[in-house]
Amino acid sequence: MYIFPKHLYTDVRIEETFETKLSYKKEVLQEQKVRNNKGAFIRVFDGVRWFYASTTELDTIQAQIDRLASMATPNKAIDSNAIVKQFEVHKDQLLQYTNQSVSDIDITVKKNLLESYLTLIPSETVVHHSSYYVDNKTIKSIFSSKGTAVTFDKQTCGIRINLELAHGDNKDQTSVSKAGIFFDDILNLNDFFNSEFKKDIEFVKNAIPVEPGQYTVLLSPLATGVFTHESFGHKSESDFMVGDETMKAEWAIGKNVGTKILTIIDDGQVRGNGYVPYDDEGTKGKKTYIITEGKLTGRLHSTGTSASLEEDLTGNARAMNFEFEPIVRMTTTYIEKGKRPLADIISEIDKGIFVDNINHGSGMSTFTIAPSRAYMIENGKITKPVRISVITGNVFETLGEVDALSEEFELLSFVGGGCGKMEQWPLPVGFGGPYTRVRKLTVQ
Amino acid sequence: MKTEFITLTNKETAAKIVNSKIDAVRVKDITKKGVRVYNNGKIGVSGAIGNIPNETLVQHATENLEADIEYPYEIESNFIDHRNVSSLKMSSESLLETAEEVLLELRNTHDTFWFSEKIAVNEVTYTYQNSEGLDLIYEDSWIELGLILKEKKSANLFDGFIQYIGRTFDKKRFWDFNHAYLTAYSNQVALPEGDKLPVFMLEAPELLGFMNNSLNGERYATGSSIFTGKIGENLFNEKIVLGQNFNPSKTFAPHFDSEGVVLKNDTCHLIENGKLVRVFTDKKTANQYKLPHTGAASGAYDGIPTLTGTRLRFETDSTSIPAVLKGKPAVLVVASAGGDFTPEGSFAAPIQVSFLFDGEKIIGKLPEFSIRSHLYKMLGEDYIGTFDNPFYIAENSQLHGFYMTISR
Repeated sequence: MYIFPKHLYTDVRIEETFETKLSYKKEVLQEQKVRNNKGAFIRVFDGVRWFYASTTELDTIQAQIDRLASMATPNKAIDSNAIVKQFEVHKDQLLQYTNQSVSDIDITVKKNLLESYLTLIPSETVVHHSSYYVDNKTIKSIFSSKGTAVTFDKQTCGIRINLELAHGDNKDQTSVSKAGIFFDDILNLNDFFNSEFKKDIEFVKNAIPVEPGQYTVLLSPLATGVFTHESFGHKSESDFMVGDETMKAEWAIGKNVGTKILTIIDDGQVRGNGYVPYDDEGTKGKKTYIITEGKLTGRLHSTGTSASLEEDLTGNARAMNFEFEPIVRMTTTYIEKGKRPLADIISEIDKGIFVDNINHGSGMSTFTIAPSRAYMIENGKITKPVRISVITGNVFETLGEVDALSEEFELLSFVGGGCGKMEQWPLPVGFGGPYTRVRKLTVQ
Repeated sequence: MKTEFITLTNKETAAKIVNSKIDAVRVKDITKKGVRVYNNGKIGVSGAIGNIPNETLVQHATENLEADIEYPYEIESNFIDHRNVSSLKMSSESLLETAEEVLLELRNTHDTFWFSEKIAVNEVTYTYQNSEGLDLIYEDSWIELGLILKEKKSANLFDGFIQYIGRTFDKKRFWDFNHAYLTAYSNQVALPEGDKLPVFMLEAPELLGFMNNSLNGERYATGSSIFTGKIGENLFNEKIVLGQNFNPSKTFAPHFDSEGVVLKNDTCHLIENGKLVRVFTDKKTANQYKLPHTGAASGAYDGIPTLTGTRLRFETDSTSIPAVLKGKPAVLVVASAGGDFTPEGSFAAPIQVSFLFDGEKIIGKLPEFSIRSHLYKMLGEDYIGTFDNPFYIAENSQLHGFYMTISR
C-alpha cells in the first residue's frame, strides 16, 4: 500500500464518488449530469503541527506523503503523543450498498420518477417551478500509519421541487424535498408532495404579516431539528472549547442547561444525511447523549479535541469532501421524543406561533430561524398563516424555555443545502425531533 | 459539432490556526475540467476533477447529447480576452512567515482574544475556450485572512472576525485598522437613543441576496419577483445604481459568465439612478421571455449554463460618511447572522456584533439588538449611501448605510 514515513503519524483518505443530477424547469429537462470523481486527502502529524494535502491525482499519493513528511520534523516519541494514542484502529470493509446502489439504476428510471412528481404540481398560483433529482454514492477508504485500513460506502438520493408562487401582490418561493438511502425510499411520495403543495398554495393566498413581538412558539419536527442544530448543536462541537477555560467552565459536564424534559442526541449511526459508519479519521460512528434530562452529559469530538479535553471519542470528525481536513461536525442531531400528544400541547396555547417549515437558521449567541411557512395559534387552535422574517432567541436561555415535547417524532433528510462551518459548506447532516414548544421567542 | 473547454485550477497554501497558533499547513492543487459540445441545437456536457484527457471528456459530452437538451443559441466566438489581475508576490514560505508575524502581534497586543481559522494564499486560473475562436483566461492570486475571534472571557462560540482579502497586503493599514477595532471591544458603550439609527453594513449580503433573487429575469417574467411589471419605474432612491459587475479586480472572479459572455466595461446596470431599467438574463431566458440579454449565465464547470444568481454590486455613490452623519452616532455591523427578507420585502435581523461609529473611527462595542426595515425603505427614503469601505477589510469593498428601526 503506502510507505508511511518513520517517526510521524500519517493517514490517507481516498474518496470515490458517483453523483447524478437531473434538473428541470417546468417540465423541460435542463441538465442531466453524471459525475465519477476521485480525490484524496493526506495528513502527516509530527506531534506539533499537521501537514495536509489534497489531490485529484491518486497516483501521486505516495509522493504527497513524502512531500508533507519533508515539511514535518520527525518525532521519535510520536507514538506516545496524546492525539496519536487516541486514534482508533480498525480493519474493515463495510460496503452496504453494492446490491442496491443508486449507480446501478438507469438514468431513465430516475427521470421518469421526477417527471411523475412534476405532474402533481397544481397550476393555481404556481407561476414557475424547478426541480431536481440528486444522488450520491461515496466509497471512502482510510489508511493510517497506526494500522487502520477501512473501506466503507454511503449513499443518498432525493427529490427537490422549488415552487415560485404568486397570488396578486403576494409572492413566495418555497421548496419541497425528500431524501432517502435507497431509490425505493423516494418512490410513492405522491401524498407527501400533494400535501405540501396544497399548504404552500394556501399560504401564499392567505398569509398576512405577523405582528412583531414575543410569542410562545411551537416548532414542527423540521423546525425543531434546525432549532436544535443551531441553538445548541454547534455549542456541543468541542473544537470551540479546546484551550478555552471560559468555555470549559460554561459548558461543564453535569451543568443544567435545559428543562428536565429535554434530551438531545447526536447519532452517527442513523441512516440518512448524517450517517457516519466511520468518521473521516477512521473512528466508528457513535450515539452521543449531549443533554440528558436537561443536564449536559456529552459533547462531540475529533481525535484532537478528545485528546485535549481527555474525553472519549465520538466519531464526529467530518470533512465536506476530499479537499478538506476533518473537523468536529454534527451527524444526525435531534431532541428525543416526548410523551404528550401534539393536540394537547397546541390546546394549551392561547396566543402563539406554529413554525411548520423554514428557509434557514443560524447560531451565534443569538440563534435564528427564518420560517417559510408559519401560522398563528389562537385559543388552542392553529389559525391563519403569517409571514415572518426571522425568529430569534438567546442560545443560553432558550433551552430552559422548552416546556413541552410531543410523542409525534420525525427524523428528516433532504437534498440541497446543509450545515456550514468555517469554509466547509454544505455538509449533509440529519436532524429532526418531536413538536417542541418554547415558552418565549422573539418574532419579527 | 462545436466544442468548448472550461478548466479551473486552484492552488492554495493555507496556515490553519487554532487558538492564535498555526496548527496545520494545508496545500491544495485541484484541477476541474468541463467540456460542452453543441450539435443540431442540442448541448452535451461532461466533466471531471483531475487531469482527464480532453478526448475522453469530449466523448462523454458527445454521449450526453442523447439527453436531448435543447440549446439553439449562438455560442460566443472569435474573441480573445486574457486577464491577469494578480499582483501578489507571496510564496508559500513567505505566507507562513506572514502568518507567524500576524499571530505573534495578535498574541502580544490582543491577548484577551483567541484567534482561529486560516490565513491563505490562493492562486486561480479559469480558462474558457471553444472551437469557434473564443479564448478567455482569468488569472488571479490573493491573500486571505479569515480569523474568527473569541474573547477569552466570553462563553460565545465566537465574538467577531478579522478579515482581509486582497492582492496586496499593507501591514501598516492592516494594523492601524485592526488595533483600533480590537481595542474597541474593551470599550462597552450603550446603543444611542432613538427608534431609528444610521446602520452601516459591510457588503450587505442579505440585501444583495434578496435583490439577486428579485432581479432574476426568469422570476421577473414568470411573475414571482417583487419587481414584476415594474421595469421603467423609479422604485428606489435616485442615488442608487446597481448592476452586474464582472470586473475581476473588484469581484475576485472571472470577467465572463458561464456562456463566455464578456460585458462592455465589465458591467451591466439593472438599476440606474433609482429606476429599474432591466433584469438579468442568460441567453435562454432572454430568448424565451423576450428580455434584453445581460450575460448573467451561471452554472458549474461541468454543467449546462443556467440562470440562478449573478455578481451584483452597487456603484459607490457617496464619498464622506462624516458629512452625511453630521455628527450623529452610527452603528457599524460586524456580525449579523440569520436575518432575512419576507417575499414582500420586510426585513429583520439580529445584530450579534456591532460597534458605535462616528463615520471615521470605531468608538466602542454595542450590546446585541435587532434591526427592522423594508426593502423600499432601505433603498428609498432610509438609504444613506454606498461608500468605498474606509476600513482595511477587503480590496475594493464597500460600506452601505441605511436608517433602520431598532429593537432593543
